[in-house]
Amino acid sequence: MQRKKYFFFIFVIITFILMTYQSKKGRLLHIDFINSILDSSFEITEDLIDAVTKPFKTMMLRDEENRLLQQQVRKLLMEKERGQEALIENRRLRELLKLRESRKNYIVSARVIARGIDHPKNILILDRGLKDGVKKDMTAMTPKGLAGKILDVSDSYSRLMLLTDINFSAAVRQQETRTEGIISGTGTGKCILKYIPYEEEIKNGDTLITSGLDSLFPPGIPVGYVSKVHDKKDGGYFRQIEVVPFQDDTGIEEVLIVR
Amino acid sequence: MRHFLYWLILIFLSFILQGRLSVIGVPLDLTTLLVYYAGTRYGQTKSLLLGGAIGALEDILSSTILGPNMLAKGIIGFSVPFFTSGGFFRWTPLLGIIAVSFFTLIDNTIVFLARSLFDTMPTAISNALFIAIMQSLLNAPAGIFIRPEHAD
Repeated sequence: MQRKKYFFFIFVIITFILMTYQSKKGRLLHIDFINSILDSSFEITEDLIDAVTKPFKTMMLRDEENRLLQQQVRKLLMEKERGQEALIENRRLRELLKLRESRKNYIVSARVIARGIDHPKNILILDRGLKDGVKKDMTAMTPKGLAGKILDVSDSYSRLMLLTDINFSAAVRQQETRTEGIISGTGTGKCILKYIPYEEEIKNGDTLITSGLDSLFPPGIPVGYVSKVHDKKDGGYFRQIEVVPFQDDTGIEEVLIVR
Repeated sequence: MRHFLYWLILIFLSFILQGRLSVIGVPLDLTTLLVYYAGTRYGQTKSLLLGGAIGALEDILSSTILGPNMLAKGIIGFSVPFFTSGGFFRWTPLLGIIAVSFFTLIDNTIVFLARSLFDTMPTAISNALFIAIMQSLLNAPAGIFIRPEHAD
């Protein structure tokens, strides 16, 4: 035990002598080759680590690239959708503009901003009102044909009753034979043509236009075509005729309001 | 000869890893762990010599004066058997943790003081303290696994 202590003491003394000597004379040992061995080992280790981790890094990089590409594809698809939407809107507005130019009694064009909450299917809210010259009972039409009439108006908005509404009716005329009748909504997607006697000739596909005799709708606006004619006499004087409007009530986005 | 090679590989690996691994900028102090391991396996004289040799090599590799690490590792090599021989303390994993942390702290302190006295101050005191504490914490878990032979 005593020997160990001496040994330890001598070791400490030697290190102190070494350090004191070096503090006066500078570094004692410059063994660079050990450092260079270690540096080469670092390089080899680095290469080894690289060789092992490179495939994983590449995989991760590919995953990241894949994710980014997918993001880009989604973005491009969205942009394409937006472009298509703009194209369709452009076409629709162009048609509306053409219609507006052809109508002398044009008031204003309006955009549908909502569907009425009381009659979800047959009332539309328009973004134009009294300030824009819109008045009650004015006619709303699209490039396809009659859309309905203005039910009521506020300063900035108006409500449009579609021709499929059960409370809607308008004086119409068969385009070829000039037979007159009244068209009424049914609350579904179709209308019925009333007051056409059995003697009058009418067939499927006949086009109906507004006659203007009701003093509400300007004459000559396309309304719809006859889709079904009931021939059976069921005790009444008039035929039962189903009409499909040219303007589908689900696809209206803009309308033209005319007097 | 086999024993010598085994230690040579261990020392070499610890230097390589020490140069590569760091936690929040603080390098690991694996050489101290190596000396601690030697202290748990061999007697005081052998551990002192091995510690001194490892320290000397570390001094040479760090391109500073020869001595600070040599002294620190030698002291640790000499002191570890006293802790872990079972004569004074009974070895438990907790004692292992405390011993490793303590010796890492001692190693850092001796190296810092020796360099400051005989060469130039290697870093600011606060930074030296931070490094010493971090290395003690990082080395601490090794105290559970480096068990003296008589512990079982």
